[in-house]
Amino acid sequence: MVMEIQFKQVDFTYQPNTPFETQVLHDINFTIKEGSYTAIVGHTGSGKSTLIQHLNALKVPTKGSVWLDDFEITADKKNQSLKEIREKVGVVFQFPEAQLFEETIGKDIAFGPQNFGVSEEEALKKAEKILPVVGLDKTFMDRSPFDLSGGQMRRVAIAGVLVMEPEVLVLDEPTAGLDPQGQREMMDLFKRIHEEQNITIVLVTHQMEDVAEYANHMIVLDQGRLVAEDSPTNVFKNEEWLQSVQLDVPQSVAFAKKLAQNKDWHFAEWPLTLDELSAQIISQLGKGI
Amino acid sequence: MDRLILGQYIPGDSLIHRLDPRTKLISSVWFIMLIFLASGFTSYAVLAAIVLLAATISEIPISYYINGLKPLTFLILITVSLQLLFSQGDSVIFELGWLQITMEGLINAIKIIIRFVLIIFMSTILTLTTTPLEIADGIESLLGPLKRFKVPVQEIALVLSIALRFVPTLMEETETIMNAQKSRGVEFNTGSLIERMRKIVPLLIPLFISSIDRADQLATAMTARGYRGGDHRTKLRELNWQQRDRLVLSLFGLLTFLLIWL
Repeated sequence: MVMEIQFKQVDFTYQPNTPFETQVLHDINFTIKEGSYTAIVGHTGSGKSTLIQHLNALKVPTKGSVWLDDFEITADKKNQSLKEIREKVGVVFQFPEAQLFEETIGKDIAFGPQNFGVSEEEALKKAEKILPVVGLDKTFMDRSPFDLSGGQMRRVAIAGVLVMEPEVLVLDEPTAGLDPQGQREMMDLFKRIHEEQNITIVLVTHQMEDVAEYANHMIVLDQGRLVAEDSPTNVFKNEEWLQSVQLDVPQSVAFAKKLAQNKDWHFAEWPLTLDELSAQIISQLGKGI
Repeated sequence: MDRLILGQYIPGDSLIHRLDPRTKLISSVWFIMLIFLASGFTSYAVLAAIVLLAATISEIPISYYINGLKPLTFLILITVSLQLLFSQGDSVIFELGWLQITMEGLINAIKIIIRFVLIIFMSTILTLTTTPLEIADGIESLLGPLKRFKVPVQEIALVLSIALRFVPTLMEETETIMNAQKSRGVEFNTGSLIERMRKIVPLLIPLFISSIDRADQLATAMTARGYRGGDHRTKLRELNWQQRDRLVLSLFGLLTFLLIWL
């Protein structure tokens, strides 16, 4: 089943028709294809968080429409049941460990499926199966989520979303506040489920290295407007422009650009990852400079 | 949720903004007492004029005040309907079975609406033009005399200012957690009353936990900065009575005489 997300001329205004009115999104148009790994980037306050709340209809556009599959969300179609959407689009918010509340980890993970009509027994089974996916084992089932370390709590919270078997997984800065190893493990986990289960991933991040490494589609926001939608390779070509929207290129691109100031070095394509960079350096060195 | 006006200070430099917070607190309380003393429509007209005058001087658009009314509409409606239905009186203007609406009930209901609106407007003027910190400072200073009776005034003021300070934070957090649980399939606005109450649990527990965590962090931060409390503390912001404060309070005195005379 194809799960495509499409934004058509989406405007969003907080508290319209009040003195506190502020427009956060202006005329947003884009398509997220099924099975893609999309990165949404933009500096703080550019509207990323508001935008992703449209992906599972937590927010409804003030103007324009969001299409999730063949389901249209517009301002004048209120009061429709959004459960189906929420089941298909799983959202992991910033610092998701704040959503934990149950006595045991098992029950907390099983909370989501039960809201979508799965029996308690079945949901607990699913919870037990999902724990290894996030790198925890069965013994965690009966422990309290509040005895865990921050990183483990994050894993439990993510398991609580994965257990609903979403077709689209939205991640809002999922590695913020984790140690470097935890960050890498987390990003590898998402890569694995993206590849193995063909889940569409939408990642909000400030880490350009992560965008370069994992994403194949990139959306750049600046002051509530979509200013670029392209492949990371193309977006990272233009360093000056990226800096004008308060973003930057990944380290490997910056490094290669510095190298290229010396005429002996040539890069046909900027290396997006450290692996690509070292491969290019090795091959050019091999030619015997 | 966003409509709650409490703690929504609007920066400005109007006469009302510059008044001493103590003046504003005293005037507000005084005004509320006057509203309950007043009984005739003439008195209400005078009081309404005062509120409108103050709102105009505050240089804050009237729509902000109207927004402050909205969250309390329900409460006003309930009180008014109770008043309408259960007031005793002689001149019945509408009757249906045992239900009767009397002229007295109608007049009482109208008076209650006026009182509510005036009180809300006045307190909105206070919260829109005064920062929560100023309010806490003002209360501390006004409660000062109670120190003699061993009332921990300074601590009360501190608790108050911390509470006021964290209202917006708590509301933001509520929305975040609500969003997270909605994404996990909770529909907060459907189901019977009992079901809805049960759905509050996944919202309340995370809120309690984060509040306790935050209290802990705040205590650590305060200790790290040498907070000891008690009488030895000096103040960064000293409150000083100005000419304008004396003027406003004397105006209220005059107003009281005027209302008694009316």
